Amino acid sequence: MTSADTEHRRLCHTLFDAIEQGDIAAVETCYAPEMTMWFNVSGQTTTREQNLAALVAGKELHRRRTYNDRVIHTFEDGFVAQYSLNVVARDGTKVTLWACLVGEVHDGRIVKLMEYLDAGKFKPPRGKAAAT
Amino acid sequence: MNQYETRELCNAFFDAYENGRLDVLERVLADDCIISHNVFGRETTKQDNLTKYPDSYVGQRRRTYNDRIVNTFDDGFVIQYTLNGVQYTLNGVMHTGHKGALWICIVARCRDGRITRIDEYMDSSKFAAWTGPPRRAADGGPR
Repeated sequence: MTSADTEHRRLCHTLFDAIEQGDIAAVETCYAPEMTMWFNVSGQTTTREQNLAALVAGKELHRRRTYNDRVIHTFEDGFVAQYSLNVVARDGTKVTLWACLVGEVHDGRIVKLMEYLDAGKFKPPRGKAAAT
Repeated sequence: MNQYETRELCNAFFDAYENGRLDVLERVLADDCIISHNVFGRETTKQDNLTKYPDSYVGQRRRTYNDRIVNTFDDGFVIQYTLNGVQYTLNGVMHTGHKGALWICIVARCRDGRITRIDEYMDSSKFAAWTGPPRRAADGGPR
């Protein structure tokens, strides 16, 4: 294990823990000033400020959001985290997503995040259960 | 495996998928390989995947795995890519030419030159745009 491995893992956990706890100030410390985020659902890249605003908005929408079952691998300039995202909405609705986050890290801060999840899981069930 | 061998394995796997080389897929996937999909929330086996491979191509003229970004770690790799496909009608005459794209990420574990586990992450809400408008049979009816 290299020190980069340890540092990247720590940074990844710090980010998820901060989002879970709604600690936007702690999230900010994880991000480089020029940080961007790309999202497979929208295909769009957003800025650091837009990402932080989205996290604040998410706090209003969700009663609880936890990043569980974290499996983290690191490489020289980043990490990949596989996790189960468990969301409890204000109305008590629970949703679980299996998602993946790839992060690029420079000088101990995240410069780019790329998130992959299945937005189809947000849709309410229609008729009979999906054939999975 | 060093990072170069891991990258080579990764590209061999995707090239084989692109080119329909089941013999290569048979070789690069470990016999006990497990494939997990975030969309379906279930795991399938190597044999499940090789058996169903032809079905996965139904309606597609071409499928390419582009924009590959590969990072390696101790015992595996993560690849982010764009899956481009060109659809065609099953009757082979009325080609729609519809083009679709999916952004996908795969995390794979490797051992002894073979892939032992694949976790695939994609967005099922993009499937309709990927396949395009409903295909029609030669008589104009829905298929």
